[in-house]
Amino acid sequence: MIELQHLTKMYGNVVGLNDINVTLDSAAYGLIGPNGSGKTTLINLLIGHFRPTIGSVTVFGKTPTRNREILRRIGLCPASDVLYPNVSALEWVRYQVRLHGIDRHQCGKLAEAALEIVGMTEAMGRPMGTYSLGMRQRTKLAQAIAHQPDLLILDEPYNGLDPVGRSEMTTILKSWASEGRGLLFASHVLQEIEAVTSSFLLIHGGRLLASGTANEIESILADTPQDVVVLGADASRLVQRLADAPWVNSLSLTNQRTQLNVSLSDTAEFYRLIPQWISDDQLSIDRLKTSNGNLEALFESLLRHHRGETP
Amino acid sequence: MNAWSLPFDVMRFELRRSMTLGRLALWFLLVAFPVAIIATISSIARINLGAEFNAQELVEPFGMTLYFLVPEVTCLLGLLLWATPAISSEIEGQTWVYLTMRSAGRSTVLLGKYMTAVVWTLSAALVSVGISALIIGPEVSFRLWWVLSVLSVLSCVVHAALYVLIGAVFYRRTMVAAVVYTMVVEYGMSFVPALVNKLTVNYRLRGLLADWMGWEDARSQAENIFGSESATTHVSMLAVMALTLITLALWRVGRTEYPTQQEG
Repeated sequence: MIELQHLTKMYGNVVGLNDINVTLDSAAYGLIGPNGSGKTTLINLLIGHFRPTIGSVTVFGKTPTRNREILRRIGLCPASDVLYPNVSALEWVRYQVRLHGIDRHQCGKLAEAALEIVGMTEAMGRPMGTYSLGMRQRTKLAQAIAHQPDLLILDEPYNGLDPVGRSEMTTILKSWASEGRGLLFASHVLQEIEAVTSSFLLIHGGRLLASGTANEIESILADTPQDVVVLGADASRLVQRLADAPWVNSLSLTNQRTQLNVSLSDTAEFYRLIPQWISDDQLSIDRLKTSNGNLEALFESLLRHHRGETP
Repeated sequence: MNAWSLPFDVMRFELRRSMTLGRLALWFLLVAFPVAIIATISSIARINLGAEFNAQELVEPFGMTLYFLVPEVTCLLGLLLWATPAISSEIEGQTWVYLTMRSAGRSTVLLGKYMTAVVWTLSAALVSVGISALIIGPEVSFRLWWVLSVLSVLSCVVHAALYVLIGAVFYRRTMVAAVVYTMVVEYGMSFVPALVNKLTVNYRLRGLLADWMGWEDARSQAENIFGSESATTHVSMLAVMALTLITLALWRVGRTEYPTQQEG
């Protein structure tokens, strides 16, 4: 579905994307990375809006910049809002479909069907200026799926959605993915992506740090130095246990002595021994914070792996 | 047929979304201000000359005034508002990414917006010319009306292509670039008695005005303003200009990586 070879994008002297190599078959993928990591740049390259500085992009075997007709097989739901206040959702979606060169009579039917999927049938005749943010998000999704693409690309689709809206969006995306069609879903919130797919592309600083399923990424992290934060009243008492352990790279205790930051080269050994130590020494430990629950820490660990700082 | 009708669908969409009070008020303003000026001048002339008022004798000053007010001011003001921000308005509204990712998006949208600018501005210009010609006097109104109507059509077609190109090149500070170009080139250089004025749209339009109205005295006395070329030459040059400018704009829009103003 997507093949990126040595894909690099420069904005003058600033690196947008740096030497990305990946091949993705038709399936659902989460593109995860913090703000400014290069997610939107990658999306702009996939739709042929940007040209690679170095390397190549092919989508369904074709280069998007040279084969604009390939865009008919791609649906994009960008992060930016729609600002046509006096146009109805039906008019706008129909117009967007029409710009793919689809027959005028068919456009209305496709637009109505897409708006029905996202639950906008009742409001589709109203001007978009009267819509809530959630309704505009759903309208954006409708324009992305209306021309029945083979690959759906979404950039932060949960922005502005309330819990009900998030749940509905997740249901729609799961349904899309279950039909075997391509889905690339960019977000900076891991949990949003996990609700839809278990395959990830992790991007940071313009570099693709890891790709694969959650298990595959975990196995990468298992060999990578990781930070674990120990929180609790007796966190400081763990220092004596950890100080001599050969798989501990560094230890640091905060001023309040209730938070111990541990850098580990072997997390498996740490997790094997820590319950025993807590039990034997009768320590009061509230929780352990790892990169699984902290995206920045996860990226930090992956960056180390990317730089070859593995044991 | 399907592909050819695409720019018309863009135009229909753009006209539909332009039906706002602000836009309609601007349209009426563009119609009203030349009419108001012509009506004022005509009233003063009728009061001063009384029974001696003869529209035939005053057709040249009235014609030149109306030419300046409509093809050179109304058309340019309308196009500045419509054609110039064709791309920048979508970039600022963060909607360009929706258009650019359509297989026929970039070129079709540009052509559609170009046509919208022409139709919207031309409609105001033609109404204004029609009413103004009737105010000047029924005895001269037909010739004045058709000459200025054709000049309005040419002005809109060529100037819109020019502004669309400026908008495609200078997508930041678009208006500033277009206004500076208009003041320096179309209102300044078009009066310079040198080869350079032949490359301006207004020089060609003035040449056609004098030729079609039969103002030979004006042409001989002010050749640098009205030119001496034939009407065919002027029309051909305007056609070449319009085609060249719109082709350059299409090429530019097809190649440029406009910012999508998104983070991530």
